[in-house]
Amino acid sequence: MTKISIPIGPQHPLLKEPLSMKVDISGERVLGGSLRLGYVHRGIERLAQKRNYVQNVHLIERICGICSHIHTTTYCHGVESLLKVEVPMRAYYLRALMCELERIHSHLLWLGILAKHVGLDTIFMHVWHDRELALDIMEEITGGRVLHGANQIGGVRFELDEAQVAMIRAGVEKLHTQVEGVLDVIENEPALIARTRGVAPVSADMIKKYCVVGPIARASGVDVDMRRDNPIPPYDQMEFSVVTLPDGDALARTLVRVYETRESILLCERILRDIPDGPVSTRVPRKVPAGEVIVRSEAPRGELFYYLRSDGTDKPARLKIRTPTLAALCLLPEQMSAIQVADIPVVLAGVDLCVACADR
Amino acid sequence: MDQTNIESLCHKLKSQLDCTFDLYTEIRNDDTFVISPDQLKVVVAMINEHFNGIHLSTITAQQREANAEVIEVMYSFFQGVGFSLMISLPTKAPEVTSIVSIIPGADFYEREVAEMFGVKFTGRRETPPLLLPDDWDQAPPFIRNEVNND
Amino acid sequence: MVIRKWIKKTYRWAQKNSLWVIHYNTGGCNGCDIEILDLLTPRYDVERLGIIAEGSPRHADVLLCTGPVTIQTSDSLWEIYSQMPSPKWVIAVGSCSNTGGVFHGSDTVLGGVDKILPVDLYIPGCPCRPEAIIEGLLELRERITENGPD
Repeated sequence: MTKISIPIGPQHPLLKEPLSMKVDISGERVLGGSLRLGYVHRGIERLAQKRNYVQNVHLIERICGICSHIHTTTYCHGVESLLKVEVPMRAYYLRALMCELERIHSHLLWLGILAKHVGLDTIFMHVWHDRELALDIMEEITGGRVLHGANQIGGVRFELDEAQVAMIRAGVEKLHTQVEGVLDVIENEPALIARTRGVAPVSADMIKKYCVVGPIARASGVDVDMRRDNPIPPYDQMEFSVVTLPDGDALARTLVRVYETRESILLCERILRDIPDGPVSTRVPRKVPAGEVIVRSEAPRGELFYYLRSDGTDKPARLKIRTPTLAALCLLPEQMSAIQVADIPVVLAGVDLCVACADR
Repeated sequence: MDQTNIESLCHKLKSQLDCTFDLYTEIRNDDTFVISPDQLKVVVAMINEHFNGIHLSTITAQQREANAEVIEVMYSFFQGVGFSLMISLPTKAPEVTSIVSIIPGADFYEREVAEMFGVKFTGRRETPPLLLPDDWDQAPPFIRNEVNND
Repeated sequence: MVIRKWIKKTYRWAQKNSLWVIHYNTGGCNGCDIEILDLLTPRYDVERLGIIAEGSPRHADVLLCTGPVTIQTSDSLWEIYSQMPSPKWVIAVGSCSNTGGVFHGSDTVLGGVDKILPVDLYIPGCPCRPEAIIEGLLELRERITENGPD
């Protein structure tokens, strides 16, 4: 049959963000595709050089609304390393609590989008309703549902009292029950399994060749997690398991994220149990001594890389951010070959696109 | 992989390449080897073979100060612990071999460095713009900012 | 005369009670977008107001814009607006689509949505709360009742 090129985007019901793809199809088979990024490129690395370190916390939080906290955590950790200040351990634990809540909300958001793409709208409604529990907790402790302003250089901006700790425990317990229910559906729903099993399998070799990170790598059996391999405090003191599955297909990518959500809920409970007393921030000078630092952390979508260079003033000399979605998008054209047209939404959803992160 | 392995990698690279290269320890958390641009492809191929598939985190480029004569390009890797390779290219006509044939995942990172700093990567297909608009007719953004002191 | 007035009133009642929205992110961080998607979920449930999210501009009445307008998305933003049939309205959701927000001054950001399109309603917030977006949509319904569609 003749080859046809279909454009998808920049505006498309499948896409929440502008992204342009050309997909080549012949009949029902997809032959390949190409991507065009850059619609959301706001020049954040250049903007960061014009603002001081404190203003940049506000800017960096707005790289991505879904994984905003891990961006500011990584950035603040980098600046604190250059300043050589000792951040109180309680602040690290509070940051980790927000990181895990953010991972839960991001994965549940993603699961709803996948279900919507596949056509199972009820799962989308249920999962996003459960996600509101995580957002409620974040709003109660920081004041923001989506962008929190929780971090500052030297610690965090919020403190927990007894009532809030009790509220978080109750909320996390409710989330645990709900997520177990969701897992039960995902593992047993024949329609979802039929749409995702065996679709676009990716081998561990491909993952390594394309340097893909995060749940996509773990779903193909590559055991990598920056919380364990290159930990920022307090992850070096906490026990948790890293979930990997061997199959590498869309079903594995779905299951890995739901198992990770469950693991994050258990981590929240451990954080609340082990959090030490003490101050939540420390005073820091405005000017950062000259130096360079590389920080790696685990965002919901994978390894987040920050390189920060200071020249002794109060503005960064160079800030380089590499987000995990950029690594995953490299693999997308390969995944697009040899699937059916009806699988395109499933493959797109499996990448867990965050184009705002990729384009910066 | 830990510190002793970094040193053994350093030793292996030195003995097999029969040249000297410096260990640049200013970058906290990542040991950084300074090499010359001609050695880049060989070193990356050796690292990739040594670890049976190395993970490239990203490629970072920068100028140390405004109107600098060199652009520094840093290739950051991670295998249990992070380490980097650093090369220096002249600002006027920066050119270096591409490593996409060894690590296909470097494609997007090279394209970004090419459009932001004007670096030419040889030995690969053309580097179409990744993030900037197709009709971007101004100087590479990072070079312009440094020169104009924006 | 009376019949014409009655027809107009019915037309406005039908229009305001079934506003179909299309949502386009012109370069934002996603914060406002996920709050807009939240409107469709059981807690906020705008479908009880007659509002559904549409995929195609040709079926939509209201364009919800989020994010600052970047150079790359300005063309497609205008295309989407021109494909929408009249009467149509544009709502700028969030600080970034109002004024460019925190990205003001970037060399790839043009500014708020009003640089490209005529905006009918501005909803502030960073990000906008779902309650604020519902308030904005209700305000639009009131305007349609009073002034009629443009």
